[in-house]
Order: sequence, then structure tokens, then C-alpha cells
Amino acid sequence: MPGRTFAEEKDYLTKSGAVQYDVAKGFVPNMRVPGRVFVNDDLSGLLFGELEACCDRGSHGGFLPAVKQLANVAALPGIVGRSIALPDVHSGYGFAIGNVAAFDMDDKEAVVSPGGVGFDINCGVRLIRTNLMEKHVAKHKETLAQALFDHIPVGVGSQSLFPVTAKDLDDALREGMDWSLRKKHAWKEDIIHCEENGRMMNADPSKVSQRAKKRGLPQMGTLGAGNHYAEVQVVEEVFDQAAAERMGIGTVGQVCIMIHSGSRGLGHQVATDALTTMERAMKRDAIEVNDRQLACARIASQEGQDYLAAMACAANYAWVNRSTMTWLTRNAFEKLFNQSAEEMDMHLVYDVSHNIAKIEQHEVDGQVRKLLVHRKGATRAFPPHHPMIPPDYQLIGQPVLIGGTMGTSSYVLTGTQKGMEETFGSTCHGAGRAKSRNESRKQLSHTQVLDNLKARGISIRVASPKLVMEEAPESYKDVSAVVETCHEAGISKIAVKLRPIAVIKG
Amino acid sequence: MVDAPESCVAADIEQKASRAGKAGKYSQQAAAYRSEAEGSYNFEYLDHTADVQLHAWGVTLEEALASTALAMYNYMTPLEGLEPEAGEVRTFEAEGHDMDTLVYAFLDELLFTFCTELFVCSSLTVTSLDRENWKVTAQGRGHTFDRMHHASGTEIKAITYSAMQVREEPGDAEIFVIVDI
Repeated sequence: MPGRTFAEEKDYLTKSGAVQYDVAKGFVPNMRVPGRVFVNDDLSGLLFGELEACCDRGSHGGFLPAVKQLANVAALPGIVGRSIALPDVHSGYGFAIGNVAAFDMDDKEAVVSPGGVGFDINCGVRLIRTNLMEKHVAKHKETLAQALFDHIPVGVGSQSLFPVTAKDLDDALREGMDWSLRKKHAWKEDIIHCEENGRMMNADPSKVSQRAKKRGLPQMGTLGAGNHYAEVQVVEEVFDQAAAERMGIGTVGQVCIMIHSGSRGLGHQVATDALTTMERAMKRDAIEVNDRQLACARIASQEGQDYLAAMACAANYAWVNRSTMTWLTRNAFEKLFNQSAEEMDMHLVYDVSHNIAKIEQHEVDGQVRKLLVHRKGATRAFPPHHPMIPPDYQLIGQPVLIGGTMGTSSYVLTGTQKGMEETFGSTCHGAGRAKSRNESRKQLSHTQVLDNLKARGISIRVASPKLVMEEAPESYKDVSAVVETCHEAGISKIAVKLRPIAVIKG
Repeated sequence: MVDAPESCVAADIEQKASRAGKAGKYSQQAAAYRSEAEGSYNFEYLDHTADVQLHAWGVTLEEALASTALAMYNYMTPLEGLEPEAGEVRTFEAEGHDMDTLVYAFLDELLFTFCTELFVCSSLTVTSLDRENWKVTAQGRGHTFDRMHHASGTEIKAITYSAMQVREEPGDAEIFVIVDI
């Protein structure tokens, strides 16, 4: 069968709203539901660009465009509603990055796919507020960046600063942030302000392989590399004063800290192991998928249940990891400003997960159903009054933390009822890449990127300066366009804009 | 092999090649593909929006596989300038149930050793490749990564099956693998 031209492919994509496109069945084989992509005119360029490049390239090498990946997900057994892409969508592996899909727990055929969670299980972002103001901190910016860099291990081959035993690791995998609380690395208020209260209850450390544990043991409390970072930010603009005050970040110039990291090697290995196991189970259960990276297992099967129990451990690890770095950050601030973290009001505003599958109740075709919602490069964004969000935020909706890229703004949004109806209560997770790492390395120089940041008054410490251009703002979509599209689509609401003053990266 | 959606399959290439009046199906593309080789190595990094696609080649599949491994190490820490002669020798084994799973398992084994023991191979030879039982053995020479002495690249989180391709022709082999950054 001859391949379709780009023009023929585009016939399957219809603009169905100001900032949305629908992907019709038939775009790839076996689609069970249609797809929907939320993008504005500026962001649609990359979406179509990836598709056009794929049509031009043919089958030698290359990669699948995001819109094809989204459609392949729509072909998975048990999917309900639509396969959804958020404005920061781009090509990933298996699922696209920025892809949300929900599977009916009461459908025997329905699957769980590690490719729909990603290798970095429970990669996420947390925001810690302070009562310090930019004018007090500005002169210490360089010292602050250095202090964080000294406190938090970053980059390739970085290891924990404190010893972790095999028993500690098992406890942490089972208990998540409750373990951090016991170790005095977390405050009890932190737990209330974290998705799932920082602990997935179905975690079973015996379902995590020795290989995964061996990778996770030396890395607890390390930031990692790639797009992970810790940033000191200031409140730049407040869009929703009531929501911002509720979160304790209502004053322009107020200093905050954002941490973006995940489950490190432990999570990566859990996903790798599951992929290998599920490959075999798929043959047995005769599950066919369009892409090998979409390996999956029936939710009710042994492989499916084992993965969910191991994934929960990796999620717990990620929360412990971010909690440990929060503790290190509080320590660094205490030393530098000679006040206690409590005096500086260093409370956790919230902690969100980007890569996770969760059992939730949603309304589908007028009926409430129990679904396994996969969010890959997407953030949960529950509306006001939802029982799963903390009492403090019942009136404003769940805080959604959107990390920008090195040197650009970040945002705090809140969840909406429309998001609950349109996207299974989900929204974007960040800027999303626009340029390939390779292109960035060729076109930008690291000195240029670092000078640019310096010129904008941002202090930076990086473990691998020569790769800093891969993470340069030029390599990403415009985070403001991404959050504005979510706001316009009504799937979340902009509350606060943050601007970085110091960045540390791997 | 990974199933590409119908729109992106081989028929396309042949059409394009015939339009361009090229005889060799892959020759022109292959030349363009191999134009960005890193230093004197038989590998390059191809464009991918989020991650990195490793592309490595050799006269035999064994060579291509070894080059793929070096491509992976080189992304985590630049290999240029490391002296393998003085290094330690390690043997790696992996098995799968077809070509893709074998390539996946092999690279995963090397990545696992790097992540747990920080061992970096700066040279590597595939000593046996058993296509009946899908087993591979390789011997690598290298050092333990040390942040004080080695330059840092970026972390590779995992190997993916996404758009994985293993291609062989007489006297030539190449591998495409996307790794998660």
C-alpha cells in the first residue's frame, strides 16, 4: 500500500475550535476513538512540521511525529473518550509527550502501558514559597546559586550525600513522603500539599527488580540531568489575586524555589523491566499495537498489576527524592540567611506529577466510570471542590505548576471544571521542546547561551556547560503561548507568573 | 522491526528514489545520514524533538552494534582523548528473542553497568553474536567515570524501541536507536 502524502494526511486533521484540532479515525490503523490536539496557530507549526518531515523522509531512520503517536494510542484496547494532546505536545516514544489517555477499569481488555507513563516515572515539579523579597535576595544571587549547587548533587554520575541502606530504600518505596517525614526531611504540611499525599498506597517493593533498586540506591536526593533543574524564582505578575493569596504567593517580588526532578535510575529501570515483561505477555494475550514501544498489559493481568505496584514504588521514590532536595534547599537557605526555614515560611505550595497513571473517576458519556488515566508529560488539573485536592485549595482548584525552561518564566495555574470534562482533568506540563537537541547543539554556542542568561540577571551553575545549549530557551516552545492556549481552551486558569533569578542544572 | 504507520513506509522511498532518478535505494540517503559522524567514530546523533537518535554503522552488524554502544557512552561523557589501552577490561552479555529485543537488552546492560558502577567503555568489540538463540557477548575496555577527571555529557535515562531499525546489506550494517534523555 503506497504511503499517503502530507496533503492526504492533513485531510484527517480538522480544526474543531479556536485552539483545537480533531484527528479522525483511520489516520493510523485500528483507532478505537478519535484524537484531539489543543494548539493555537503558533504552536500548530511544530505539530504539522513533524508530520511533514516524516512524510518526506520515508522509512529509512527517522521517528514518529507526535500526532501519529497520539493516534497509535487511540488504537489501544480499552481507551475511552479521546486520545488527547496538550499544547506542549511533541514526539516522544510510544505515547507522545503531552499525551493523555484513559482506560476503562471495568473493561476486561483495557490495558496499562509503561509507554504511557514514561521512563521517568513521577517526574514532576514542586514549588516552595518564602517570605523573602527579591530586593533582599538579589545581592546574594551568586552565593545562593552556588549554595544550592553545593547542596544538591546534579549531573551525570551524581550520588546521594547521605548513606541509604537497602532497608531504607524498601521503606521509602513503600511509604513515600511518610518515610521522608519520619527521617525529618519533610514537614507534615508538605504531605498535605502533594498529589496523593506523597504516597501511592498500592506500592509493593517486592515488585521492583534488584536491578532497579541497585540503580536507585545511590541516587536518592539527586537532581539528575537533562531538563531537570532547581530554580530560585520571583513572583513577576499575579493574574488571579484570590488564588495566589490562597497559595501564599500573592506578592509581586516574593521569592520561591521550583524543583523539577523524577524517580532517577530506579524509575527508568522499572519502566525498562516492565517493557520487557509485557512484550512477552502481549504475545500470550494476543494484544496488537501499532508501535513496539507501546508495549502494554491488561490492567487485571499479573503483568499489569505488577507494573502498577512497581510504578507506585517509583512514584514514591520520586516524591522522596524531591522531598530530600527540598530539605537540602531549606538547609541552604537557613545557612545563607541565618533564619530558620519556618521563619522564612518555606512551605510547599504544591507538588505535581508529569508522568504517571492513576485510577480516577470521570464522567464518560453521562456515566461515572472508574478509569486508569495515563498522563505522559501532562499535569493533573482538578477543579474546585474536587475531593482529591487539599482543603486549602478547595475553593480555587488544584494548583498546577508549569516549569519553564532555563531562563524563561514559569507559571502557576489552577484546575477548572471544563478541564474535567474535556481532558480528564489534565493540562500542559511545561514548554515542550521545539528544536531537536542536535539542532540546538549545532546552532547555538554554550558561551552565547550562558552570556544571554547572565545579561538577563540570572545566576547559573551547570554540571555540563557544554550541553547547556540543548536546554536553551531557543530549543523550546514559548511557555507563555502554551499556558495561554490552556487558558483559552478553558482547561486551566492562569494565576501567577514567575521569573527565574538563579538556576542550577545537570 | 517497529511497524511504521502506513503513511511512512518503504513504498514512499522507492517512489522518491525513482523520481530523483537514483538507482541505489539507500545510497543517497545513507550518504546524507553519515555526514555528521562524531570525530573518527562510526556514529552520529540525529534530530529528534525530545530525545536523541543514535545512528551507528559498520561493515558488519557486530561493528555497528559496538558503534551504537560507543555512541551511547559518548553522549554521557565525551570519549575523545580517553586512552582505552590503559583501561580495565569488562565482558558484557545480553539476550533477547529477536533482533530488536537483543539490541535493546545489550544497550540496557551497558547502561545499567554505567549507572551502577559508573564504568565507561571507550572501546568495545562484539565478540559473538548468536542469531539463533539471540545472544550477544562483547568485550569493552575503559575506566570508571570520575566527575573530577571526565567531562560531563548528559544522562541517558533508558533505551527505547521507538523507531528502532537494524538494517543489513552485504558489507554494510546500520542501527537506529532513540534513547530517552
